[in-house]
Amino acid sequence: MPKIGNDIVDLNFAKTQSNWERSGFLEKQFTIKEQQEICNSENPFLKVWQFWSMKEAAYKCYTQKEEKRFFAPQKFECTLKENHFGNVIFEDYKFYTKTTITSFYIHTVAENLFIKNSNKIRKFSGIGSPNLIDNNIKLKIAEKTGISFLEIEKKKTKIGAPLFNYQEKVLTKSCSISHHGNYGAFAFTL
Amino acid sequence: MTKQEIIQKLTSIVKPYIQNEEGFKNISENTDFINDLEINSANLVDIILDVEDEFKIHIDNDSMEKMMSVKETVAIIQAKMNA
Repeated sequence: MPKIGNDIVDLNFAKTQSNWERSGFLEKQFTIKEQQEICNSENPFLKVWQFWSMKEAAYKCYTQKEEKRFFAPQKFECTLKENHFGNVIFEDYKFYTKTTITSFYIHTVAENLFIKNSNKIRKFSGIGSPNLIDNNIKLKIAEKTGISFLEIEKKKTKIGAPLFNYQEKVLTKSCSISHHGNYGAFAFTL
Repeated sequence: MTKQEIIQKLTSIVKPYIQNEEGFKNISENTDFINDLEINSANLVDIILDVEDEFKIHIDNDSMEKMMSVKETVAIIQAKMNA
């Protein structure tokens, strides 16, 4: 079953809330290969947060399949391809990522299988204000399914992953929400 | 160091990163960093580094993996301090 995860990093917030140059910060979260790539990068700050968002998006994709929580960013290894496409490898799993970078934020969507929009599965993602994300998702679902916005309900799985329901029926095949600073973001499939 | 003292120190460590005041007011052994305090996952590593500095211990990757709640974190700090 295809799953989707996403992660947003507010770059201004990352500058004030985190210090990537802090001793131990890179060593604990990034593999040796990633650390070298960060240090050799023209903009190490951006590389740190791009890798971080890839790892986090892959983790959120993985935990929808395997319902457990843990903090092991170093076990998710990122490889960048062209145009901000990339892969994240975690144990026997491979995730396909696409990152969008602007001067304000970094947003990554990760999938465990290449999801092609079709009759069977449709994928959506977006960025907005953090407290409007649930509504943005409901609006999108309402638009695509014809179900009334007011009857779409947000629930959570036992590990805290979001689901959107209509009369006890789960509408989202996979769903991920992320918040950071002034941004919220989502990715889901129907 | 007693468990209460550890929790007290841990409470001051997490304070700068919390985003849910209500959750922080009710902090207890059962508090989860992400679900209850809404700490951003990007700050979990800061908490781990702060814990290492404060308690003068080294947290290996296997321990770090479990540090998502007060209970787990206290257990790891106790184990490392007694090692």
